[in-house]
Amino acid sequence: MLLEPVQPVWFSLNFKYDDCMKEIRILLAGNPNVGKTTLFNSLCGVHQHTGNYPGVTVEIKEGKREAHDHSIIISDLPGTYSLSAFTPDEQVARDALLTSDPDVIVQIVDATNIERNLFFTTQLLEIGIPLVIALNMCDLADEQGITIDDKCLGKNLNIPVVRVVAKKGEGIQKLVDTIIEAAETTTKPDHRKIEYPHLVTTHIDEIGNYLSSHASLLKTLSPHYAAIRLLEGDEHLLTMLHEKGLDIPFIDKGDPAERDGITEDILLARYRAAEKVTTCSVMCTMGRVMPADLIDQVLTHRIFGIPIFLSCMWFAFQLTFSASNPFLVGIEYVWGYFTKIINGIGMDPLIRSFLSDGVIGGVGSVLVFVPSIFVMFIILSILEDSGYLARAAFVMDRFMHSIGLHGRSFIPFLIGFGCNVPAIMATRTLQSRADRFITIITIPFMSCAARLPVYVLFAGVFFGAAAGNVIFFLYVLGILVAIVSALIFRRVVFKDEPSPFIMELPPYRMPGGFTAVLHMWYKGREYLKRAGIVIFGGVLVVWALATLPAGVEYGSAESLAGIIGQAVEPLFAPLGFNWQLVVGLIFGFIAKEVVVGSLGTLYGGEDMLESSLAADPTISPAIALAYMVFVLLYMPCVAALGVIRQEMGNWKWTAIAIGWGILMAYLFAFILLHVGSLFIGA
Amino acid sequence: MVPLSLSQTGDTVVVRAIQGTGHLAIILGQLGMIIGIKLTVVEKGKESVIVRIGESRYALGAGAASMVLVEFQV
Repeated sequence: MLLEPVQPVWFSLNFKYDDCMKEIRILLAGNPNVGKTTLFNSLCGVHQHTGNYPGVTVEIKEGKREAHDHSIIISDLPGTYSLSAFTPDEQVARDALLTSDPDVIVQIVDATNIERNLFFTTQLLEIGIPLVIALNMCDLADEQGITIDDKCLGKNLNIPVVRVVAKKGEGIQKLVDTIIEAAETTTKPDHRKIEYPHLVTTHIDEIGNYLSSHASLLKTLSPHYAAIRLLEGDEHLLTMLHEKGLDIPFIDKGDPAERDGITEDILLARYRAAEKVTTCSVMCTMGRVMPADLIDQVLTHRIFGIPIFLSCMWFAFQLTFSASNPFLVGIEYVWGYFTKIINGIGMDPLIRSFLSDGVIGGVGSVLVFVPSIFVMFIILSILEDSGYLARAAFVMDRFMHSIGLHGRSFIPFLIGFGCNVPAIMATRTLQSRADRFITIITIPFMSCAARLPVYVLFAGVFFGAAAGNVIFFLYVLGILVAIVSALIFRRVVFKDEPSPFIMELPPYRMPGGFTAVLHMWYKGREYLKRAGIVIFGGVLVVWALATLPAGVEYGSAESLAGIIGQAVEPLFAPLGFNWQLVVGLIFGFIAKEVVVGSLGTLYGGEDMLESSLAADPTISPAIALAYMVFVLLYMPCVAALGVIRQEMGNWKWTAIAIGWGILMAYLFAFILLHVGSLFIGA
Repeated sequence: MVPLSLSQTGDTVVVRAIQGTGHLAIILGQLGMIIGIKLTVVEKGKESVIVRIGESRYALGAGAASMVLVEFQV
């Protein structure tokens, strides 16, 4: 199970600096769930953006903070337990720490769980780059009766330790000062050394001496440190050295059993060091109560676990639609007002058509769904921050396993209901390539928020009171198709078992209101940006095609849109789609909301859309159902497609993913058209 | 020694061996699940378990739980 080679991550140069400012580049590292992102937000405030790196695009967030004539560039790495990287996101963190040569590494340590966090510290110490520990969640530690002597901790490790409460912004200024001080120190950092057993040191020296004669290959790593990494089983480093033609003593020639023994000795030495430091600097003054154990016993119960989870989901969906209702009414009112104004003023008919059909008809029909999407993102963020999502993954693991997927795949699936793009990126936390590929192929069947407008429109027009049930059916159908696809791919293509399920269950925490809102805002903003640029652009193109060539009746069969639609229409004849619907599908590739946008444009504006659709004799309820099914399954939007290509790493699998989607869409649309015709009339 | 998958809710067990090839031992090791460590079984599903080591809780699926051999602590 080797991951594909990943290019080292370099800092991007997206910020502009004053010449007089001294620049300090720092990396924020730490275990998952220690509040890294919260600290990052406290450090950077609004001066941040998500970095987009060439070669491997990974969400490393980058931000900056200015203090004392210094400009501090901060990169927030994915959470990892150690430098042994098993998943793509861990690999990104490892590569940044080992190859990007920052000025300071800041490790965020969870004050309520110091010993486990210190294991990673023992690895970071040895890199030889100044290390600063930010002891986060000190308030929680106090509440739990954990007293930490941070001075003693710092002295023992010989690194600065700063107490912070990232959520409340406490200790941030002190942390900044300490970072600057650490960066300004010119002497080589003299961190505490880990005491290895004699046998281990002999091997470290042996390999280290060999590597010193090839020091140029190691770039920033010292030969001594590289030797430790190799003995710890760093396959990426080993592969890199093998590619350069090196034959490393002991590692390549020694007895594998003996080598595993050394790896374990190093592991134990690190834990011993972590334990020693913890014992002398941390004191528990209260008897520890474990309320989380009780909550876990209920939430992950072998019988109640699944019903509890399903109720949570049902509640979340209800909330998404009911909480956004008042906003929807507001937006519709404002939009209707605009339409009246435009129709009221005398202007060139072309401009009026552009404004009312193109802008209001197209973009307006998409914009009304923004509130639902914001609510959906905030719910997902609360589920994640509270710690429940990890439990849900555990509850679902057996089921996921039975359909040939990994329990962890469940989280990307859930995110997929919001948007497929982050869902596909979230598969980076999966270890095996097979697990990742199957998950990526099936994620597009999770009905993302952008498909909802299509359902609401068609179900509302053709199914009236049953609209809610029809929409629910579509969500379920998507899940069923995903299950069937996963089973097929696991049986036919990736015949190995899913890799073992091991996952940390983070402590239960009250989701911070600010963090949740910020999270929602970033996600929602992405959606707004797309609505503004991609969808608007798509709708404009449709409007232009419906207007040209000059002189034809707008949106008629003689317009360019009509000509294109009619040319492709025969392909969809078995499904009964008319050319307007086909044009919607073609442009839906840009983003699924554009389906509604382009139909809005072709059927003469948002307020006209519903009545014109209802009056169109070529669309029966069965065809409407088939159309919704087709939109659900047919193809990921262009943004999702880009991410699929990036995560799969080749076009072959990307093509398989698309082809599979179209096949499923055609098949199920065809079946439902004919089954549907029997019951609801053709 | 029995597989962790045979333990019950509330048991306290000591890890004695981690079976199998591949990265399982290293993955568990970086989480602190090393030979000699004491675990509390917080919740036992059909074959999967949730264990606690100190302050951390980990969920292990049936596959992983059957690879960890433990001894019951009385």
